[in-house]
Amino acid sequence: MTVKSTVKTEENKVIISVDDRFDFSLHQQFRDSYSEINNKGQEYILDLSNTKYMDSSALGMILLLKDHVEMNASTLTISNPSDTVSKILEIAQFHRLMTIK
Amino acid sequence: MFSIERLALIVDDSKTQCLVLSKLLEEENYTVIVANDGASGVQKYIKHKPDLVLMDINMPIMNGFEAARQIKNLSGTNDLAPLIFITSMNTDQAYIDSVDSGGDGILVRPFSPAVFKAKIKSIQRISNLYQQVKSLQQEQQQDAELAEKMMSEVIESRNYALDRVQVIKKPATIFSGDIQLTALCPNGDIHVLLGDFTGHGLRSSIGAIPVTETFRAMTKKGFSVIDIIAQLNKQLNQLLPADLFFAAGIVCISEHEKSAYIFNAGLPDGYLFNNKGKIKKQFESTHPPLGILPDLLPDAKVELINIDLSDHVVFISDGIIEARNEQGELFGVERFEHAATEGIAENNLVSNVEQYLATFCRGVPQEDDISLVAAPCNNWLKKVVSNRASIPEEIYQEEFNDKSIPAWSWQLKLSGKLLKNVNPIPMIMNQINDIEGAGEHWHSLYTILTELFVNSLDHGVLGLSSSLKQSAEGFSQFFHEKAHRLEKLDSGYVMISLKYFPFTGGGRMEINIKDSGKGFDIKQVMQKNQSKSMDSGALSGRGIELVKQLCDSLTFVEDGTSVIANFVWQINQ
Repeated sequence: MTVKSTVKTEENKVIISVDDRFDFSLHQQFRDSYSEINNKGQEYILDLSNTKYMDSSALGMILLLKDHVEMNASTLTISNPSDTVSKILEIAQFHRLMTIK
Repeated sequence: MFSIERLALIVDDSKTQCLVLSKLLEEENYTVIVANDGASGVQKYIKHKPDLVLMDINMPIMNGFEAARQIKNLSGTNDLAPLIFITSMNTDQAYIDSVDSGGDGILVRPFSPAVFKAKIKSIQRISNLYQQVKSLQQEQQQDAELAEKMMSEVIESRNYALDRVQVIKKPATIFSGDIQLTALCPNGDIHVLLGDFTGHGLRSSIGAIPVTETFRAMTKKGFSVIDIIAQLNKQLNQLLPADLFFAAGIVCISEHEKSAYIFNAGLPDGYLFNNKGKIKKQFESTHPPLGILPDLLPDAKVELINIDLSDHVVFISDGIIEARNEQGELFGVERFEHAATEGIAENNLVSNVEQYLATFCRGVPQEDDISLVAAPCNNWLKKVVSNRASIPEEIYQEEFNDKSIPAWSWQLKLSGKLLKNVNPIPMIMNQINDIEGAGEHWHSLYTILTELFVNSLDHGVLGLSSSLKQSAEGFSQFFHEKAHRLEKLDSGYVMISLKYFPFTGGGRMEINIKDSGKGFDIKQVMQKNQSKSMDSGALSGRGIELVKQLCDSLTFVEDGTSVIANFVWQINQ
């Protein structure tokens, strides 16, 4: 399983991590990783520290996650993107749309 | 329901076995042909094209594995005639080898007739499913090819100056999510756009048609780059689902201003190359791709640069730099820049980049659409300056001497802050198109109106001195200062009046533009301008010089705060 989601109920945290290649083939898996979580006021962390490559459909998938997060009055942070992934996020100017650390 | 008779081929050196299997297959409505060794099995397969093959393993001349391999090679992916090995070799290796050689199943003796028939049924079911998928796929392929043909008709074939703008377009599937557009502005500037929808294939190409329509219509009406970008963004935001968006680079090349206006929303860096292939400037993405946000970010800004006429502006999609070779390495920015530099210097940008890519990827299937546009910065002007007309003598006397009343007149006064946000020229052109219909001659009128309006705004209302524009650096400084003064503007006005006098086979437009500025010494400025020629490369005074060429008459009055221009057009006989 390359998409993993961990819900830490006591900390109100949802951590989603994606390994290796983040592309269209993970569409369903990625959506499944959060679609059942409907608690409000969560802190979503998208951990991309192990993502080696990401394509533009992955950016689209992140936007869908952002919609979900906003619908549930929660926040989204992208955490630890590698250099390659950072470059892609930068070209798309995603730091203007969400927090990246 | 009747059942279709099917043809089965049994390849087995034991005649008894052949007989037993034939019997069972005939009970299942198969017609049976028999071969007694691998080689003649292959021959009979070629001749009869059976629907099912049963294959023994140990046979003289050619064994079952080899025969299976040849048969599967022959049938390729076009047709699945399922092939089952029938054997008494109940070993792991036999299983593995039978699958490796292309077998679709294995049946180990001894088995009961019932088990045999069940196996045949199950394999036939898979084969039927395969046929169904196959024909659906063919249907879909045909539809897609038709749709693609229509779409590229709408999109690419109507591009402006297809011969001058160089393009690479290599879709990963039939449909491309990348589009390249070019269109001519009414004042002779050129707009070039390279866009990349998320993903590839049909899903990502549906936005292409509305984008194309908007880009063309707005360019034609004289809207600026930022207006077009803002509208595309809004339109795509409403149109596309949340995970689909449009990374785009757009450039307006103004040969007559020797400048380019550039906006990059989500594409890799764009480039300005000189004619030796040296990178003079790079334009990085400054905005998220279009269609994500309902409106552009408030600080969205078009970058203005000075260009030399021998320069080239180049945009690429990420498909180029993310193309992979067999080792999974990316083609990358450096290889692209090297290929592009070399290509421009040798005047074969497109083929050089394509060749480098092909050598690097060595036939690894392409994952994303690959595209590039390269637009030269010169030779766009000619068309506009050459269509000046003047009123034929006899018509002038017949129809004008009575100082006839205009067919219509139109006036607009913009004041204060509105001057900052409203570009009145596209509105005026809309009015004219609505009343008089579209026509080539309005291109020149657009240029005249734009130049005179900008002149009144810059030098009249804003009081900017054109001496700033003497040098290339000053030119940027001028625009910087202009933006600054516009920001603070809260008084002043520009008034535009039009009067239209039609005559047989043409018409005359009288344009009066008045501003609230201090005016200028008309005589002095006119003399100064006369001593400069259009081709001397001077950066200022070009606008008025151009207007003078396009107009029948141009007069400054009221101490230079008001200008009256007469534009005459005529249908060429």
